Amino acid sequence: MRRPDIALVPSFQRAASRVVIRRTANYEQDLAAVIGEALAVFDLPVRGKTVLLKPNLVGFDPLCEMNTHPYVIAATQESFLRLGAAQVLIGDGPAMDRDTEAIIESVRLREFTGPLGRTFVDLNLDDVKRVVLGTHASRLNELYLPKTVLGVDFLVSMPKLKTHHWAGVTLSLKNMFGIVPGGCYGWPKNVLHWAGIDNSILDINAAARPDFAIVDGIVGMEGNGPIQGTPKPCGVLVLGDDPVAVDATCCRVMGLRPEKVKYLNAAGTLLGHLDPAKIQQLGETVASVRTRFAVLDEFKELREADGGVWN
Amino acid sequence: MTPAGDNLDSQNLASESVFAANFCLPLIRTAQNSDGGWGFQPGLQSRVEPTCWAILALRAQESSASAGEIPARGLEFLRKTQLSNGSWPASAEASSGSWVTALACWVLAADAKARDAVAAGVRWICNDWPRDSATWRRWRARLFSHRKITEQNDSYRGWGWTPHTSSWVEPTSLALILLASTPAQVLPRGAARRRELARGMLYDRMCPGGGWNCGNPMVYGVAGEPLIVPTVWALLALRDKPDRPEFVLSLDWLEKNIGNARGAGSLALARIGMEVAGRKWPQGAPTIAEMYARNEFLQNIAVASWACLAACRRHQWLTGDVAEFS
Repeated sequence: MRRPDIALVPSFQRAASRVVIRRTANYEQDLAAVIGEALAVFDLPVRGKTVLLKPNLVGFDPLCEMNTHPYVIAATQESFLRLGAAQVLIGDGPAMDRDTEAIIESVRLREFTGPLGRTFVDLNLDDVKRVVLGTHASRLNELYLPKTVLGVDFLVSMPKLKTHHWAGVTLSLKNMFGIVPGGCYGWPKNVLHWAGIDNSILDINAAARPDFAIVDGIVGMEGNGPIQGTPKPCGVLVLGDDPVAVDATCCRVMGLRPEKVKYLNAAGTLLGHLDPAKIQQLGETVASVRTRFAVLDEFKELREADGGVWN
Repeated sequence: MTPAGDNLDSQNLASESVFAANFCLPLIRTAQNSDGGWGFQPGLQSRVEPTCWAILALRAQESSASAGEIPARGLEFLRKTQLSNGSWPASAEASSGSWVTALACWVLAADAKARDAVAAGVRWICNDWPRDSATWRRWRARLFSHRKITEQNDSYRGWGWTPHTSSWVEPTSLALILLASTPAQVLPRGAARRRELARGMLYDRMCPGGGWNCGNPMVYGVAGEPLIVPTVWALLALRDKPDRPEFVLSLDWLEKNIGNARGAGSLALARIGMEVAGRKWPQGAPTIAEMYARNEFLQNIAVASWACLAACRRHQWLTGDVAEFS
């Protein structure tokens, strides 16, 4: 059982976070080997445990442009099983379309993972538990969240590297919108928009902070994401034990300033590290893989000046 | 469609009926919880929405009198879960109403014991206005928004998934289907105006080439992609005006896209939409049984129920006329 009460730790009390960047040119590589090697750095406590992978399955997507690529999901599943996990579930609650099966079939997830009838959890329809939100970042005082998410031993957020037309970027923290059940709040989960997207992201992640994040940045999306943007090859997988640090690193890889992303800046105080001095960067350097992502004009202040300082 | 095509269509429907009887009905029957309700999947807590779909499916498929015990216990669950303000919650612990109120009223309308409950539910629905289209909010948006994100007429008003949020296609459609079959004496004053505004909202939110998604036909100047599920619900809600260009265009979109359906839920609803609109089922379209073999519907009770409803030759369940089910 996960411990939501340990999610909030002031930055100065939190140990340094580790983030690995792995250069990964395409989806034809042996991703299980790449991810397995990267996970080995972390000595994760998953032996005999139940792990839930939470990919970003946002819509019907035969070309795999907006969703976490199924090969990345399957390779991660295999990697956690190799680490001794007793069970690796895959779960998401798509926001715009209640036919979850149509979405996972459109990306051919079953072809990579095998039959999903017993391993996939439609988080929109799962049993729910009332969670009182202690953070009060948004106007929401409580949320009903899936019991599977609250009950697993280890939760992994697996977003795609994308810009977002309302939040600036959508990475491992924004990806957690998908745990809010449509069966309670509808398709889309409009109550979160009314409560404020940035603040809702903080509340959700405080209530169910991912233990680990793996970002599919092999091909990301720029511009009018998360659905109608333009595919952007970036050739990286970014992994880490702190979702804030992973998202901050992803922003820097995208040529964006994480401290200018409203929810990420706030998350850096209590949910994880934003400050690069508190992030132990492993694998490739940010500078070596930086790929500038286009953003809508509304988010032009996110762009780093040319020759950004991160390395 | 040729006579041979008619035969094929008939055979296809017959095979879907056999599948519904052999796989879907047993799944639904055995998934009923001891409190009379159904969860979204077998073994999960009872919720209003899957309970409503299961009852509709059982009523539409069962013919023996004894089989009525299962839906009767489901109706009892619905009667017990109504909130004091007349609405129904989307989950057991929740204390506020939601879009499932329309479904619960629709299902309970045929239950003589639930007339007051239905009347209270309908009143709640007619008093539940979306917040986004309030007059002051539209004025504020006109004065202060520097860029128009969506292109829609906010003077039209439908229903949201949850109270005091925005209008969306599916909850609006479900409310319209309910109100269309609700006897005039039960409808509160102003219901006719609400229906008119909601119908206008659905027409306004149609995607540019026909069909509907959740309710965003254009975002930042880019056309939204329609989806089968909301398209079918909107078509069913607007089916009394089948000559409207929006209806014809959207039905055409549905017909063209059935072959692209990837989920059993979408496919089952597409069949319902096509049949109710009097269109033939396209040859070569996938079958619900084939989709079941892939993922067992992800054990989804709503999908199994829709598959049962899709296998009906008549669709009286849409109007709550239970006498014709048995």
